[in-house]
Amino acid sequence: MKRTNQLNRREFLAGAAAGAAAVGFPYLVPSGALAAHGRPGANERLTMAHIGVGGMGGYHLRDMVNRRNRGEVNIAAVCDADENRLANAAKTAGKGVQPYRDYRYILERKDIDAVVIATPDHWHGVQMVHAAESGKHVYVEKPACCTIEEGKAMVAAAKKNKVSVQVGSQGRSQPEAYLAHRYLVNGNIGHINRVDCFHYPSPADNNPVPDSDPPAELDWDLWLGPLRWRQYNKRYCHGVFRWVMESGGGQIRDRGAHVMSCAMWWMGADGTGPVTIEATGTAPTKGLWDSAILMEVTYTFKNPDWTLTWTQMPNDKLPKAEKRTGKEPGGKISRPGYGAIYRGDKGEFIHWGGDGGTWAEKKAREWKLPAGAKDVYKSPGHKEDWFKGIKTGKKTIMNIEAAVGVANLCVLGNLSFISGRKLRWDPAKQEIVGDQQAKRMMGRPQRHPYHL
Amino acid sequence: MSISNLKKASLAAGTVAMIAGTAGAAKTKAVDELINGIKNKSDKVRAEALLSAGGVGAPAVKSLAKVMGDKDTEVMRAGKRALWKIVRHVGRPRARDERNAVVAELMGVLGGDHPTLVRREALWMLSEISGRTSIKPITALLSDKELREDARMVLQRIPGKQSLAALKKGLKAAPKDFKLNIAQSLRQRGVKVRGLACVKLVPTKKTNVKPLK
Repeated sequence: MKRTNQLNRREFLAGAAAGAAAVGFPYLVPSGALAAHGRPGANERLTMAHIGVGGMGGYHLRDMVNRRNRGEVNIAAVCDADENRLANAAKTAGKGVQPYRDYRYILERKDIDAVVIATPDHWHGVQMVHAAESGKHVYVEKPACCTIEEGKAMVAAAKKNKVSVQVGSQGRSQPEAYLAHRYLVNGNIGHINRVDCFHYPSPADNNPVPDSDPPAELDWDLWLGPLRWRQYNKRYCHGVFRWVMESGGGQIRDRGAHVMSCAMWWMGADGTGPVTIEATGTAPTKGLWDSAILMEVTYTFKNPDWTLTWTQMPNDKLPKAEKRTGKEPGGKISRPGYGAIYRGDKGEFIHWGGDGGTWAEKKAREWKLPAGAKDVYKSPGHKEDWFKGIKTGKKTIMNIEAAVGVANLCVLGNLSFISGRKLRWDPAKQEIVGDQQAKRMMGRPQRHPYHL
Repeated sequence: MSISNLKKASLAAGTVAMIAGTAGAAKTKAVDELINGIKNKSDKVRAEALLSAGGVGAPAVKSLAKVMGDKDTEVMRAGKRALWKIVRHVGRPRARDERNAVVAELMGVLGGDHPTLVRREALWMLSEISGRTSIKPITALLSDKELREDARMVLQRIPGKQSLAALKKGLKAAPKDFKLNIAQSLRQRGVKVRGLACVKLVPTKKTNVKPLK
């Protein structure tokens, strides 16, 4: 397809057939083997594998099974460090799909075109880089990275290996995100100099448990992967890893990677970054989780000058959600607890959600694009946009450069919170300025052999 | 020196000693208050103590390291968080003396008389704030089976020639099953390592789950 280290088509087809016969399960023909100029043809099926199949990974697998049933893709493999989750995924995926514990078996298979990575955050950087180095196109869940250095490596790996990467901030692809975007870029609220993101608090660990041995079905070493070693604790893992700073980073790294993604996209700020970051917040008082419960982060941008804020506030302080009939294109607002207020010199605009559900204020939904006004890119759907990227080589809507820019906002907000001070950032060099400790925290050495 | 000057000097020395003594007593009081707060059974009291930890600084390091070995999980966690607060506080720009004092205390926590969990945490604290003075005791841990991987990563993180030299020396001395780890650190630091191929893409872990028939 597009890789220099890949076998040529004839060698691959001969090898794949022999290999499949030898191991007793059906290797699939990658779509690229049939395509010209190293990319699959528009109507060819991509062959997919899923790495991380619990939580969002389970959603992605079910979604991909539906696509397979419609004849759009093949599914070749599923992978998880938890044997129970893996067994469930193997059942969901059906016959002919090979289960793996170690994702690197997937990367070795030449018949797989692309991988969907939905592991905990601390694996995103390493697995995306490894997949790119193995010539696979990648859909990786948000946030793109946990450290600044991981983000740099991800951008470099995608560029060097010419693979298409879509990061799972799917808010950009929602129908009402398109309506909000075109409403804002056409000056309906004037010049925007401030965007205030709001979110309900991160939870506290009110049921702490002591460390213990991991359950038999979980490969704890593999789950930890790049992170430094520690004893297993149930409160690190499934469903709650989000609240541990190292692996999940709290609400700011979860929904921040959605809501601030919309802000960067609509403000035309992809490829830029703040010059200062200042965070305050409240830390948990007990339990294992250490992400900020309440939090306020201020990002200052220069040239053009604007301010972005991220606030985790008590539920009773959240802006009230717009009332809807339910007959609107996006239906009723089912997630009113987060969104953003855009403040311009002629008015304000608010949206709720920002992920799989994005709801724009009525005035943006009802606004008609006048002749000669500026239209914006309308995503055909987040996965469809990725498939288009794979087949045409065009940048995806949440390409890795944009996604790392957004993830860096989340990472820097947390760094300012845990260091207890304002940080200065050089967006061109992608570096913290004038603070040696914070600069060291831009990266995190990784455990052997789970490293970039 | 005249008697008058001797009296003045003596008076001055006494004043300095008294001030030093008062400062020492104040520090001891601050450490005691912090430790008492951290060991309190109430979440709220522990949280208030945590907020004050940063400013207490180096004098609290040993006591907090001891608290990190507490049998009560929540007290242990509070002790760890308080120590991290100190590390993040003294890591701020233009706080070199405070930082050096904390580094010196943390090096004292690396010894085998502390639990492995505490020593591991101290290593990672040093990774954020220490310089060449800590290289020797950290390098010594490359031969400690339980802590060598952490020591290797910490040396990788500390910038400068000394940490790089320590990694190179560590590679030569490392047993066969640890050489690849150190090679990884050296590559991250921009060194070309020959004869030890990177294995990051080599799968090793087999599943027991069978595909659906």
